[in-house]
Amino acid sequence: MTNTLTCANLSKRYGGAIAVRDVGFTIAPGEAYGLLGPNGAGKTTTISMLVGLLKPDTGTVVVGGTDLAAEPMAAKAKIGYVPQEIALYPDLTGRENLRFFGRLFGLPRKALRGRVEEVLDLVGLADRADAKLDTYSGGMKRRINIGAALLHRPELLILDEPTVGVDPQSRKSILDGVERLVADGMALLYTSHYMEEVERLCHRVAIIDHGAIVAEGTRHELIELVGGVDRIELTLDGDVETALAKLHGVGGVTEAVRTSAGSVRLIAEGGRYLLPAIISTVDGIATVTAVEVVEPDLEATFLHLTGSTLRD
Amino acid sequence: MLRPLLTVSALELRTRIRDRTALVIAIVVPVAMATLFGVALGGDDPPLRATVGFVDLDGGEFPAGVRRELTASTELEGVLTLRDLPGREQAQTALDAGDIGAAIVFPAGFSTSVGAGEGGQVGVLTSADTPLAGVVANAVVDRISALVRARTLAVRASLDAGVPASEVKEFVERNGAGGPALTLANDPMAGGKVDLSVYYGAGMAALFAFFVVGASFRSLLIERKQGTLDRMRAGPIHAWVPIAGKAVVGFGLAMVSVCVTWASSVLIFGSSWGDPVAVFTLLLAHVLAATAITMLVASRARTDAQADGVIMVISFVAAFFGGSLVPLYSLPDVLQKLALFTPNAWTTTGLTGLAGSGAGLASVAAPIGVLCAIAVVAFGLSAMGFRKGLLG
Repeated sequence: MTNTLTCANLSKRYGGAIAVRDVGFTIAPGEAYGLLGPNGAGKTTTISMLVGLLKPDTGTVVVGGTDLAAEPMAAKAKIGYVPQEIALYPDLTGRENLRFFGRLFGLPRKALRGRVEEVLDLVGLADRADAKLDTYSGGMKRRINIGAALLHRPELLILDEPTVGVDPQSRKSILDGVERLVADGMALLYTSHYMEEVERLCHRVAIIDHGAIVAEGTRHELIELVGGVDRIELTLDGDVETALAKLHGVGGVTEAVRTSAGSVRLIAEGGRYLLPAIISTVDGIATVTAVEVVEPDLEATFLHLTGSTLRD
Repeated sequence: MLRPLLTVSALELRTRIRDRTALVIAIVVPVAMATLFGVALGGDDPPLRATVGFVDLDGGEFPAGVRRELTASTELEGVLTLRDLPGREQAQTALDAGDIGAAIVFPAGFSTSVGAGEGGQVGVLTSADTPLAGVVANAVVDRISALVRARTLAVRASLDAGVPASEVKEFVERNGAGGPALTLANDPMAGGKVDLSVYYGAGMAALFAFFVVGASFRSLLIERKQGTLDRMRAGPIHAWVPIAGKAVVGFGLAMVSVCVTWASSVLIFGSSWGDPVAVFTLLLAHVLAATAITMLVASRARTDAQADGVIMVISFVAAFFGGSLVPLYSLPDVLQKLALFTPNAWTTTGLTGLAGSGAGLASVAAPIGVLCAIAVVAFGLSAMGFRKGLLG
């Protein structure tokens, strides 16, 4: 099957600083691909090169078989780009905004009217279509922001953090809608800081840091990278210090630290299966009053690969 | 290319029309300002009283003839007073002291030189403080120059034809190449007498063209801030469509603004700006230059507020030095030279020339050429700026 998006060896340098270095990935039709990275990792620069806003120093972008550098108009016609900000006109109504971008992107006049109605239905805003955008809630603005990118039926939808600042209902509505589009065969490139959204939507995920992709694969493959290590939070009543010393000796426990007067954190492989041994080890020294086993997730993997230092 | 361009232009036009403030700046303010200036300072020029110094170092028949004609002229009766001065230095001193408004200097041997067909030069001393006296003195000297040229030509032709040198003078005068007789044009102030309502109308039109067209480029930077510019550029359109779409509307609205100011001046004061085709073409060239200059600012500005400020400064500086706010002749020589770098100076000078002389399009070919050259240079620089910045 021909990939909807193929990008290879993308690099961009600003003066002496490398913003993106040798980034490349593919997205097949009907596939959702997540791009995760801390602030300043190179996500926006990569997306800007994919949609033709920035010329890469090196590398190629092919959309639906069309080379973006050689035939920019034809390649861009296959992309629906939803920027991070609400890139619409606040003084226009939702319908007027859609009509403007539909016309700009070359939809024939007759087809445009029908397509605007379809998109309004798709994003659930048919009843508020004639209200000015600046009267919309944050969630409604986000939905119409996505709608404006769907008018020309793109093969590839690029969503750059589309749920920032919206309420749970709107987020669910957006994610449901995006899932339907992917199920219908649209290729999706999705960036977000909400790991659960990426875990829910994306078939494959790339983690980008310092301008380069540091890991790529399915959710399962990425989590495997951190070695299946679990975190066990124990709440103890009794001689916590002695219990902690004993727990260090339990097979499979790699790390044990006291986190408060009555609680201990263990890092262990196959933590769930170690629970009986852990409880019997502290028997007679302290009583386990609560236990929580936290298995690794995408967020843990992300933090493991990119570090937990704050990025501005 | 055309459909996206029209789509961008239609939205820009709609936005500008919905924005009442923009309409006020494009129509109401320039018309009101031009009218106020016209009422306060316009109307007929004040009665002219010019004292012109007369320095006759020649003592021959030519200066005597000029003096005779000037004092006998009915057009200049009560207007022009001649004051005899012994030399050029004394004339300059009197001019600097404000005792005279201008001076005409006949050098020694002038009549002999002209009589021999060798021509001659009459000096004129003028002061920036008394421009109208300078106009009279220059008009007189222009007329003398024409006579001298005719006389010189006639003498040379006679000598070439074999008329003996001793008989040339009599021969030439008998055959109509007048001696020192000086016939002044009906209005020696031609070109210098323009209703000030036209002057200030032209000035306001030139000034506000910058603001009107600048608003469109400011909106381009606002679109960059709100993300709609990148959204457009990510679509299947040529990179220049958003810029061109806004430029077209800015240019069109600025043309409407200057034409409305022109029409209001004609309707309210009944004053003519001169040949309509020439006026329209000159205004067109001015708006083109204003469009290019404001586009250049937008191509280099980081924010819409920065562009706003820079356009404001450029507009007022160009208006001041270009004679849109104060008459050019009121400025010192250095500033008058500086004015040549502003489109306003070329536009205002061209428009007042058209109003005063009644000449046609050919008479403003030079200002139109300079304005177009300014536009070409500014467009070129802004294209480079946009490639590096907004479209980089």
